Amino acid sequence: CHSPASLAPRRIMPVRWSRYNPSYLEPEAKKESYQKPLEELTEEEREQMELKAVRPIKAAPPSLSSSVFSDPMISKFTNMMMKSGNKVLARSLMSQTLELIKRKQVEKYHKAPEKEKETIECNPYVIFHQALKNCQPIIGLSSITRGGKTYQVPVPLTDNRRRFLAMKWLITECREHKHRRTMMPEKLSQELLLAFNNEGPVIKRKHVLHKMAEANRAYAHFRWW
Amino acid sequence: MAAPAYPPWVTRWVSGQWRNKKRPPALRPPRTLALADKVANRREQATEATCITEMSVMMACWKQNDFNDAPCAEEIRMFYDCVAKAEKERKNQNEDTLSSRGNLPSSKVNKLLKRFPQITRYV
Repeated sequence: CHSPASLAPRRIMPVRWSRYNPSYLEPEAKKESYQKPLEELTEEEREQMELKAVRPIKAAPPSLSSSVFSDPMISKFTNMMMKSGNKVLARSLMSQTLELIKRKQVEKYHKAPEKEKETIECNPYVIFHQALKNCQPIIGLSSITRGGKTYQVPVPLTDNRRRFLAMKWLITECREHKHRRTMMPEKLSQELLLAFNNEGPVIKRKHVLHKMAEANRAYAHFRWW
Repeated sequence: MAAPAYPPWVTRWVSGQWRNKKRPPALRPPRTLALADKVANRREQATEATCITEMSVMMACWKQNDFNDAPCAEEIRMFYDCVAKAEKERKNQNEDTLSSRGNLPSSKVNKLLKRFPQITRYV
């Protein structure tokens, strides 16, 4: 069957809904779990191993990796930066960002006096994680309609939602509020370093959200969960 | 059934015809005097919002410390604990047992009653 001639891209292997049979198990990527000797395993792990010998296993997705350098948060961030499925570009931008962070920090390290050298963090992964943690909002606002009027009610957020918001704010900030001709790694490294030190526009946006939640705390009783 | 048909001796007895004290019928039930197999639909009261005290404590701390997160770490941790606990409660709670206030919603009551109806006649 052909898709309408001009616009729709034609797949090589056409796919409809694909869902694994529920008996398929998830693939295990971590090398440490295969290197444990038999005696160290607990009861449940032994049962799990026996189950794996009998049941079929799902195909590993391309984003699953067993390398020591793979980090789930960084993969998530790269996916969010990706546009139109260009994972190559997104990944190169991410690695350039991390390299830039490292360069800036090492430069700072060499220029700093002896006493301050220990306080400067050079590991870009640590900086990335800490910056994300600093950007995560603690409480969110949700619109609840009561008696025809919509109120902004302060609401606790799940972990996933907070991580998503932090990453989304960082990326939007870099894409929209910077000069047109700066490269993305440069903008991102700048934002991440500012967020690492609890400064910068993303942290300000988080504070604005907290202030609004604090102003609307009287409406917190409109929640029913 | 608008006016349920009781056997005639019931009507005669209730009206006092046998005691020479006829009076207008004392009871005029519009429907059958028997329990139905369902309960009226009642709008369930909304459960209260959880973790409000923790949230207000955290916000007071924020106001004092100019919305920095570092000095308020303890309050924030308590808020997260409370939220996690409430979430777990909600997950475990939705079964066919009583809710936290001791009520069953009318839909569940109707389901139970339908499984065990009132037996009106024996075959």
